[in-house]
Amino acid sequence: MNQRDQTTHGSIDLSLCDREPIHIVGSVQPHGFLFALDLPDLTIVQASANAPTTASVGERLEDGFPELAATAKRYLEGAADSDGALYLRTVTLGSGSTRQAYEVAAHRLDDLLVLEMEEAEDASVEAGLDALNPQLRAFVQRLHAAASVEDLCHLLAKDVRHITGFDRALVYRFDRDWHGTVLAEDGNGVLPSYLDLRFPASDIPAQARELYRRNRLRIIPDAAYAPVPIRPATTPAGKPLDLSQSVLRSVSPVHVEYMRNMGTMASMSISILVDGALWGLVSCHNQNPKRVPLQARNACDFLTQIFALQLAAKVRGEHAEQRIALGAVQSRLLGFMAEEDSFVDGLLNHPEDVLALVNASGAAVVTADRCRLLGATPTEREVRAIHDWLTARGAGEEVFSTEALAETFPPSAAFADRASGVLAVSVSKRFASHIIWFRPEVVRTVKWGGNPVKAAQPDPEGGPDRLHPRKSFEVWKETLKGRALPWSVPEIEAAKDLRASVLGIVLKRAEELAAMSEELQRSNKELEAFSYSVSHDLRAPFRHIVGYSNLLKNREGANLSEKGRHYVETIIEAALSAGTLVDNLLSFSQMGRHALNKNTGEMGALVEEVRRKVERDVAPGRTVRWEIGALGRVYADPFMLRLVIENLLSNALKYSRDRPEAVIEVGRLPPQDGEAVFYVRDNGVGFDMAYVDKLFGVFQRLHRVEDFEGTGIGLANVRRIVERHGGRAWAEGTLGKGATFTFTLPLREEAQ
Amino acid sequence: MAALKPILLVEDNPNDIELTLAALESSQLANQIVICRDGAEALDFIYRRGPHENRQLQDPAVVLLDLKLPKVDGLEVLEKVKGDPTTRGIPVVMLTSSREEMDVVRSYNLGVNAFVVKPVAFDEFFAAIKEIGVFWALLNEPPPHRGGWPSNG
Repeated sequence: MNQRDQTTHGSIDLSLCDREPIHIVGSVQPHGFLFALDLPDLTIVQASANAPTTASVGERLEDGFPELAATAKRYLEGAADSDGALYLRTVTLGSGSTRQAYEVAAHRLDDLLVLEMEEAEDASVEAGLDALNPQLRAFVQRLHAAASVEDLCHLLAKDVRHITGFDRALVYRFDRDWHGTVLAEDGNGVLPSYLDLRFPASDIPAQARELYRRNRLRIIPDAAYAPVPIRPATTPAGKPLDLSQSVLRSVSPVHVEYMRNMGTMASMSISILVDGALWGLVSCHNQNPKRVPLQARNACDFLTQIFALQLAAKVRGEHAEQRIALGAVQSRLLGFMAEEDSFVDGLLNHPEDVLALVNASGAAVVTADRCRLLGATPTEREVRAIHDWLTARGAGEEVFSTEALAETFPPSAAFADRASGVLAVSVSKRFASHIIWFRPEVVRTVKWGGNPVKAAQPDPEGGPDRLHPRKSFEVWKETLKGRALPWSVPEIEAAKDLRASVLGIVLKRAEELAAMSEELQRSNKELEAFSYSVSHDLRAPFRHIVGYSNLLKNREGANLSEKGRHYVETIIEAALSAGTLVDNLLSFSQMGRHALNKNTGEMGALVEEVRRKVERDVAPGRTVRWEIGALGRVYADPFMLRLVIENLLSNALKYSRDRPEAVIEVGRLPPQDGEAVFYVRDNGVGFDMAYVDKLFGVFQRLHRVEDFEGTGIGLANVRRIVERHGGRAWAEGTLGKGATFTFTLPLREEAQ
Repeated sequence: MAALKPILLVEDNPNDIELTLAALESSQLANQIVICRDGAEALDFIYRRGPHENRQLQDPAVVLLDLKLPKVDGLEVLEKVKGDPTTRGIPVVMLTSSREEMDVVRSYNLGVNAFVVKPVAFDEFFAAIKEIGVFWALLNEPPPHRGGWPSNG
């Protein structure tokens, strides 16, 4: 540690720990000794200060320790490619009072061989792997039977403690932020229980985690040890000796202090690696100093590896199960989407499946002009804010997921209760659109093993500030807010798959549309030619019939009998209605071809203008009461919308003309599904709901011509215009009581 | 001005001619009514060519022009008349069965004076013809000739 650095920066951040070079500490623990040997002649280039003086630096190993040299040569001849120190054999060195058994471990380091001799008790030498065999077998059997990850962890804690005899064994799991939680514990009551406690990420700094990944097992038999330096300090290459793989490696003074603070004098930890990544640790502690024979350590390492395999299998099994369940939902949704004209309808009509696909409580399908909500979601405005934020950030982002939205999108804190978890897929780049799922906030109370926001303490001896691990392991409770249950891998995959399906469907539709568009253009041309000739050629004969019949009536009427005049009257009427029909048909076809010219305007003003116009045709003496509510602004083609209103108002007048007082109501309902809703209600003759489907058809009439004149084109025009605007039109009525015609127009922000 | 200017009716359909004449008749206009059966003949009349070479040097009071005509159609006639400074002043009323928006737009772009879709109902048709006749033949003041000869002079 650089003292100058620390004094200049008055406050000390715990991430300093992250920079401590713990793999090159330059010393070993005193329960063994170390040689670094040059190859190929095994010359001693470095030795720990406690090495027997039989051979010293510069001499060949063979000269002082022929037994060790033979072992080392055998190791070098074998395939020495394993990562980490390999236990070779137990040797006994010295004689008489200096006689001591050592477990010899070796590992390669560039062009050096590192040999470590760890003191062993003679008795433990006998307890070979065989003695542990029944124990291991029983463990494997129980592992298979374990139902949950927690059960697996309990078995591991129990067996590791049983094999090693530590006071307490913990199984500790890292979360996404590298905070650790104690999932299982086994102990004899000497040390306090840490079960369920959470430890901050700074307790195990980044480079320690990397070391744990590379070197699975570490042991400190006595935290009160005095480190033994390695001499000389550097290798022949001029570097400090890398002790990453060393079994005797001295640990950081910070760690030793941490242990003392915890009230433990011996510790051992074994890394749990799942698919090469550090998943957690088995952490064992003893109140008093304690050595664990190498065989027992190897057994624990072995147990832990089996545990990790079982864990990986279990997680994969759970994922596979979830994938199958989600796959069923997904294929149902795919079917629904394929059935509908628009994939959006396929989703909107089956909200349960949309939510079940990723186990969400709410969802939204958001496009540039529409926002449809399913289940428990934030408001439309809030969802749109999320959509805009996603659109702005997402360069090439197909899927976005978070369990704590407010961490990256702070405004969302206001609606954390509905959207702390967000999973979103973008379904079109060109027209920014998203399918977004929501999960509510789950407030949890976490028991920290001490305040995670720990601060460095000044050195009590008044020296420069030095990094101290925290002294307090008092439980410190924290309420975690703004977090939802995390999205599982299969859930995120299901969302991605849905995105792919949607894109597939949309793409297929686009191709079909392109093919249809040519066909359409051709038939549109034909239609134009057809309506042109109808306009000219069909209309003219009707005019002529009407004209000549009129001439006949006016100029030759006197020569006709009463019957003859009646016939002529009928011819005129018939030809006239045929001509009107042609006119209406043409206007209907023009309606479909006319390009929409949408802009924003006052609906109330439009209705008022149309009302004055249609009122001119009201028979004198009729009483009509208009009830026109607040209609607000609307985004539409005013020319087309005028036709809609005109049709609806003149219909309302026409069908209420027998009422002593006609009451015609025009109003606007609260918006629904992103649409403005308008209605026109009358107290006229109404209609039978059995025929409601016929109401909007071309030339469909529900009344006899003698009762109510008309060609039956008006409502067809209404529906056509409304649908061309992207809205819907429908009717409700009761025979003899009146009718209500409702239509919707898509809302645009600026029209609100 | 000497005698009343003639009304030129350009129409190929005999029924329409008869009905239009009946309507004009009932409006009791004294103007002569000249009938041309296609666009080419109408242009001959206006420019005093072919069979009309020797007609009196006088522009029609109004041209009632059908849209769909044999040989040269109504829009072509309109284009020719309105594109020529010497005939531009002649009022042209499109009198047609067509309700096509495109035709209306094109006609106005070419400078038509009015565009009338013949109503199906007899009374309305009569009223329309009558109004057109009275307005263009009696009430409308044509632009004065500024020096030179009258058209085609």
